[in-house]
Amino acid sequence: MTVQLELRGITKRFPGVLANDHIDLTVEKGEIHALMGENGAGKSTLMSILFGLYQPDEGEIRLAGVERHFASPRDAIAAGLGMVFQSFKLFPSLTVAENVVFGRETTRRGRFDRKGAEREVAAIAERYGLALDPAARVDDLPVGVLQRVEIIKALYRDASVLILDEPTAVLTPQEAERLFEILRALAADGRTIIFITHKLKEVMALSDRVTVLRDGRVADRMVTAQTDARAITRAMTGRDVVLQATAAAGEPGKTVLALHDVTVHAEDGRTAVGGGGVGGSGSGVSLEVRAGEIVGIAGVAGNGQTELVEAIAGLRPIESGTVRIGGRDVTRASVAERRRAGMAYIPEDRHAVGTAGTADTTDNLSLGHHRQPPLLRRGLLQRSAMTRRARELIERFQIKVPGPATRVGTLSGGNLQKVVVAREMSHDTPLLIAEQPTRGVDIGAIEFLHGEITAFRDWGGAVLLVSAELSEIMSLAGRILVMFEGAVVAEVPAAQANESTLGMLMAGASPDQARAAQPGELV
Amino acid sequence: MTTELAADRTLVRRTLAWLAGPVPVSIIVALAIGAVAIAIAGINPFVAYPSMVEGALTGRGPANTLQRATPIIGMAIALAIAFRAGVFNLGAEGQMVLGGLAGTLVALTMPGPGPVVIVVACLAAMAAGALWAMLAAVLQTSMGVPILISSLLLNYPARYFSSYLVRFPLKEKGSSMVATPMIPDDTRIPALIPADSAWGTALRHSLGKENALLLITRNVNYSLLVVLAVVALVIFVNRKTPGGFESGLAGQNLRFAQYGGVHTTALVIRTMIFSGAISGLVGVMLVLGSDFRLIDGALVGTNYAWTGLLVALLAANRPIGVLVSGAFFAALIVGGEAMQRSDGVSSQLSQVIQAAVIILIVVRLTLPRWLNLSRRHGRDLPAITDRVTADDEVGRV
Ligand SMILES: Nc1ncnc2c1ncn2[C@@H]1O[C@H](COP(=O)(O)OP(=O)(O)OP(=O)(O)O)[C@@H](O)[C@H]1O
Ligand SMILES: [Mg+2]
Repeated sequence: MTVQLELRGITKRFPGVLANDHIDLTVEKGEIHALMGENGAGKSTLMSILFGLYQPDEGEIRLAGVERHFASPRDAIAAGLGMVFQSFKLFPSLTVAENVVFGRETTRRGRFDRKGAEREVAAIAERYGLALDPAARVDDLPVGVLQRVEIIKALYRDASVLILDEPTAVLTPQEAERLFEILRALAADGRTIIFITHKLKEVMALSDRVTVLRDGRVADRMVTAQTDARAITRAMTGRDVVLQATAAAGEPGKTVLALHDVTVHAEDGRTAVGGGGVGGSGSGVSLEVRAGEIVGIAGVAGNGQTELVEAIAGLRPIESGTVRIGGRDVTRASVAERRRAGMAYIPEDRHAVGTAGTADTTDNLSLGHHRQPPLLRRGLLQRSAMTRRARELIERFQIKVPGPATRVGTLSGGNLQKVVVAREMSHDTPLLIAEQPTRGVDIGAIEFLHGEITAFRDWGGAVLLVSAELSEIMSLAGRILVMFEGAVVAEVPAAQANESTLGMLMAGASPDQARAAQPGELV
Repeated sequence: MTTELAADRTLVRRTLAWLAGPVPVSIIVALAIGAVAIAIAGINPFVAYPSMVEGALTGRGPANTLQRATPIIGMAIALAIAFRAGVFNLGAEGQMVLGGLAGTLVALTMPGPGPVVIVVACLAAMAAGALWAMLAAVLQTSMGVPILISSLLLNYPARYFSSYLVRFPLKEKGSSMVATPMIPDDTRIPALIPADSAWGTALRHSLGKENALLLITRNVNYSLLVVLAVVALVIFVNRKTPGGFESGLAGQNLRFAQYGGVHTTALVIRTMIFSGAISGLVGVMLVLGSDFRLIDGALVGTNYAWTGLLVALLAANRPIGVLVSGAFFAALIVGGEAMQRSDGVSSQLSQVIQAAVIILIVVRLTLPRWLNLSRRHGRDLPAITDRVTADDEVGRV
């Protein structure tokens, strides 16, 4: 085997943070190399340096034995690198196809061949099993779909070294499995792949070798076949983390969230929620979440979950039907009224919706809490109380950030996620809508957040949990609703759920088909 | 003790970092460009620049500079509060003109003691500016016309309406000037210490006739204090009120603000009302404080609204920054006029320098971003405001 890529002594400092501290990394041709580490360990920074987005303070990059300097991603792309970014780099106002082919557009008679591009992108998406509408505008799409676009964009370029930074954070297990098949085929074809993930199962299943980072340094290097998940976890965290099924819920109390026959439109006017579905009954979505229970919504991204949640949260108009929070009809209410009625909401898109990157950590943690004591007294903001509270949340949720005055745009992906979760979970409202709540957070933090969510449930909170991570839904939720093409197509008690049945339902199989394939009781 | 020292040190470091940042560098480069322009005009820049500094800062210079700075800072703070909230009010000029008009009407027609008339004129001006601004806001929130466009277009009716009134119904009969009659003496905004007051004469005796401080107290009127009070109020609102907090976040990420429960429609309308009210106030203070009548085209001709826009940009919408850069631009203008008098360099040179400062800053801030964009990155890239905050941390309020 020949060494394809070599990083030597890479060091990168940010104000108050030593993100990479003399990191050495060697990757061979045809290898799938996993890069692991806790949130803020320096993985994305290292890959951004490799891709020319950041310049290292020290160290060198060698590609096929030759030292290279990438002044910009353009240089890196020219040298045959491709990257799937953790925080997507897409033009929001362009379509999927335009984003994918950007920089390599084909032209017809001197003009951009849009139809051709769309056909081409549709063909690639089809081949890789990642469903996409090439003509959709990117800013209208849920995060799970954006992830597919970002992956397709990198694959389209046919890079010889492919870097994937948490590509599976919002993919369903089925989609992830398809991606792994592609990656294995690429590796067998002599491509070099660096893969970042927090999911140990994926590392064990996919990678040849693992490099573990901790606090900006290499903590360990392992050959996957000669190690196990436990050893990797220990290298990352210095302790054992076991994600286990959480304690079962008690008897649920009164209804906190009630949806009756709700339909919602997408940006382009199509019905996103209700109307469709395998039943095609034309009716909307009805569901209930009661105090002390967690209801999970499973589905492949793009089947209406995001639109449904946005409609409940007040960010998208409801076409028909009613939404009640704590008994109050909030169908037409503003976001503020819904929040007052008792709603907290972790949105799936932490960058575009959940935070303001240029604002500091204190401000980001304060929004929504700033109109009540202790942050507001006699009509005035208490800046010191805001900072104190921010410090407490940073401490409690172990957010890795230099201080409350740091702008959150500089935080690592998982730490930014913790900012959103910390803010929303500290509302103590009766209802929590949690959309991909553990997206991109490390296993230690997942353990902690799952603990927080179950504690919230046991305290009497009602949780509506939307997640691409089926294992998360299965371990937390008491009931699981499956969404397909805008409709709730099945309700499965958690005790009877397993990944393959859910997977079939999510792919559009009828409950009967799923039952036939997999014995188990379905409603 | 040690933490204080550390804080001091970071402050020094930040200050140094700021000095190496886009704003100071752009100013220096802009001055260099100005020097080249002067040299091309056949004049030695090493003679012209000193006379510019002298003109702005010595003798009557400080008084003139403060006089000019007052409306510039006023317009800049009006725009800064809007821009900070992400509301692109380009109609400050029209709001100022209508404020000047409303105030003039009050001063010309309302009976009663001068101070009362002045206060009512100011309130009327603020109401006029606010209403005009609100119209632009409502056009956006109810009909979807972007404020950027609606506010800009509303400048024209405001200008022509006031022009019509000044030319016809309000024109002073028999005067060669196209202007309203003069407003009564007691409705004029007084100087800080009028020359004919007891204080004024006492000061003249103790300081001497040419003293800069004396000239300031005589030539600068209470408008300056009003504008400073507005700036202080804005600092307070931004930092201490929930509304100010919300508008700051809305300007940085509107979707985030909406998601957090901020009623963004109300926010836009409220912001425009405040912005328009301040613009209207500046308009009336120009009439009652320096022109003493509404002269056709005079308020538009000052260009204060557009100078204020540049100042707000330069200050990255921070109130303290508005004070500093407003004073800087006023000094540039006053110095430029002095340079014209002493060296024959056109005073438009100061406009060239002003424009160059802004263009350079914009280029420095956006060029890296733009290059990045062309490398196919969009979403999640630090916005322009991002860099501004990073570099301007020192001036942060
Ligand atoms: N542009 C930046 N400015 C300042 N600090 C930064 C910047 N980018 C990253 N950092 C800091 O560097 C450290 C490493 O961040 P990085 O994004 O590499 O972490 P990561 O390993 O990818 O974490 P995650 O698993 O959460 O994505 C973090 O502490 C982060 O706050
Ligand atoms: Mg990362």
